[in-house]
Amino acid sequence: MCRRILVVLCSLLILATLTSCWSSKEIEDLALYAGLALDVGEFSATEQELEDKGATYYKKNKITATVQMVPANSVGGTDKQGGSSGSSPPYMNVTGTGDSVLEIFRQYSILRERPIIGHHLKVIVISSELLKQQRINQLMDFVLRDNDIRPSTMVFISQGRAADTMVAKQKNEIPAFHIRDMLRNQKRTSKVLDPVILSKMDANMHSKRSYALQNLVTANGEVEFSGAGVIKGDTGHWVGPLNQEETECLSWLTNGGQSGVIKTYDWSNEPITYELKSMKSKITAKADGGELSFDVKLVTEGRLSETWNVEEYPAATHLPQKAEELFKERLEGMMKSMLHKLQSDYKADVGGFSTRLSIQEPALWNKLEDHWDEVFSRTPIHVTVDLKITDFGSFTQ
Amino acid sequence: MFIRTDDKITATQTAIFLNNTLLGAGVLTLPRSVSKSVGTPDGWISTLLGGAIVMLVVLLMVKISQQFPGKTVFQYSRLLTGRFIGGILSMLLILYFITIAGFEIRTLAEVTLFFLLEGTPIWAVILPFLWLSTYLVYGGINSIARVYTIVFPISIMILLISFVLSLRMFDIDNLRPVLGKGWSPVFAGLKSTVLVFTGCEVTMTLVAFMDDPKKAVKAMLGGLAILMSIYFLTIIIVIGGISIDSAITSTWPTIDLLRSFEVPGFFFERLEFPFMVIWLMQMFCNFSSFFFQSTLGLSQIFKLKVHPIIYALVPLLFISAMLPKSLGDLFALGDTIGKMGLVLFLLVPVLLSVVWLIRVKGLKQHV
Repeated sequence: MCRRILVVLCSLLILATLTSCWSSKEIEDLALYAGLALDVGEFSATEQELEDKGATYYKKNKITATVQMVPANSVGGTDKQGGSSGSSPPYMNVTGTGDSVLEIFRQYSILRERPIIGHHLKVIVISSELLKQQRINQLMDFVLRDNDIRPSTMVFISQGRAADTMVAKQKNEIPAFHIRDMLRNQKRTSKVLDPVILSKMDANMHSKRSYALQNLVTANGEVEFSGAGVIKGDTGHWVGPLNQEETECLSWLTNGGQSGVIKTYDWSNEPITYELKSMKSKITAKADGGELSFDVKLVTEGRLSETWNVEEYPAATHLPQKAEELFKERLEGMMKSMLHKLQSDYKADVGGFSTRLSIQEPALWNKLEDHWDEVFSRTPIHVTVDLKITDFGSFTQ
Repeated sequence: MFIRTDDKITATQTAIFLNNTLLGAGVLTLPRSVSKSVGTPDGWISTLLGGAIVMLVVLLMVKISQQFPGKTVFQYSRLLTGRFIGGILSMLLILYFITIAGFEIRTLAEVTLFFLLEGTPIWAVILPFLWLSTYLVYGGINSIARVYTIVFPISIMILLISFVLSLRMFDIDNLRPVLGKGWSPVFAGLKSTVLVFTGCEVTMTLVAFMDDPKKAVKAMLGGLAILMSIYFLTIIIVIGGISIDSAITSTWPTIDLLRSFEVPGFFFERLEFPFMVIWLMQMFCNFSSFFFQSTLGLSQIFKLKVHPIIYALVPLLFISAMLPKSLGDLFALGDTIGKMGLVLFLLVPVLLSVVWLIRVKGLKQHV
């Protein structure tokens, strides 16, 4: 009997150890944020008024962080309630100004009723203006340390205020998801760079390598992926933009893009367009007697997809070679101007030349590693293009 | 012929036992520690070298243990070196096992708290595992080995699935150049790769439990080979996926690799959660092994019944788990354990082998 009571007591005791839902939080009570925009510190109207009334704390107003919150039920996709709420957009932006990202985040808790959590952060946009003032390492520190925010988050740069990219023109669109989904178009154009995710950025920051981030431009409520911004590795500052052609060249150079078009003007000054089917680039480092140089070889095949020259079809007899020659010149020209910009204007190696050198000539790389951007800016780079028009679409010529 | 073999395990079970004793938190932290000490992407060479060295060490341990069939190191060390020295050696080993057990369960708790159960008190994570482990250890080596045989394929499967899906991050350039700075960084990396094999001292008790001790060499080296290939694969996939620069800065690089991508449309969009939940079982196995070893040692030294000792050790293990004050302390403890392992290696198997050689081969004594 005594034993039986003991067993019952023990079982009851074990019941107390069922801690399964200890720190559970209901998803409806949380504010998930999907986008984060960082700008130069500037008060919004509400903030200004709060500040005027003395609602402030110990800080310097260096950055403005805008967080895009999405209701939990819109993450899943279909939303029945969305119809009744009608005109209000499916997201909400909250802004705060200060000099610590985490502190600004915590400050939202005295503004909104639901705590924000970062498990679903997809996109971070930083304004290039802010990156002139602050190092990217400073701005990204919290994001990299946080345990909610995933390293799969993508980072972009904006020309103009980053908060503007977090506003949608279409009613049922969430800007952060929109920006993420734009990357699908990599299949169609190489002007969309491979996204720089947080773990890659972390690696770049640790190795002090320079890199390019996709640039976002907003006009009239539309967000366009336009060009890229170059971040210099040793300082972590934004040093300048790359335009759309240069960005395209960069993705071809780094084997990041297999798509896109090359347009040029033919002998009668009519546009003629080549569509890439494949693009391979190979960088070879050469060290002849201490003189370092790079050979870039681009091999591409594609189709002549459009010509406005109705008089003389390019496929006719001798003309394909002539057209190939034109595109080759154009591609070489584009590459050279991009490389010139990187070498002379920015002195930043974002094309992966250092990786090639370290793999092909590790001993030389060990010597040059510390002042690489400097060496890179005066290393000769030879570009050769091998371009082949394989067909003419559904036209025979 | 039917013989009840309650306290004996087969060769396959031994291999899995050894593997599950050692394979745990190392998978989560090895890419960082090895990249830090190597500084080039050559960590995988260090892992292979480290594994080879440990195999030799384990070979020595098996050979000396095979001289005393059915006896664990706690028993034969007294036969060889006398009551006093043998007792001290055994106590050192037990202390070492208790420290590792505490370390393992604390690591388990730290990862869980950081990624899965933020806000849950640490004791609420540690205690259930501790109790469950007590129950398991109570059943003796046979039940432990059976549990391991169940856990092993599950955790290996989830590990491989995770690695296959992270191949989308893989870039061979992250692993090049090979030997760009020569061999010296590779040797510098040995100190962290040998460390992930700490605890291989359990070999010296496992041999005694084998139903066929002749197969011990095969079983132990087999277990180590599985372990080494898993560590090797981890290094290749993680460094190839996020590069050494990112691995160095991240506390749990393997989990960060899994957090670096999402698999839309797959059963799990985020792989780190299933991976960690399964990996907790693996770390639980580590802990149970060392728990078992220390109870076994104590009962054999003091000739006590094993069951009261199991209960007596529970609070001790809890304290040992709670001793490190911070994550920094915990990793420092991990390094200390590695050094202890090295000292113990010199003290126990090497010393015992030398004594055995002198007494049996030299003086022709019968021990």
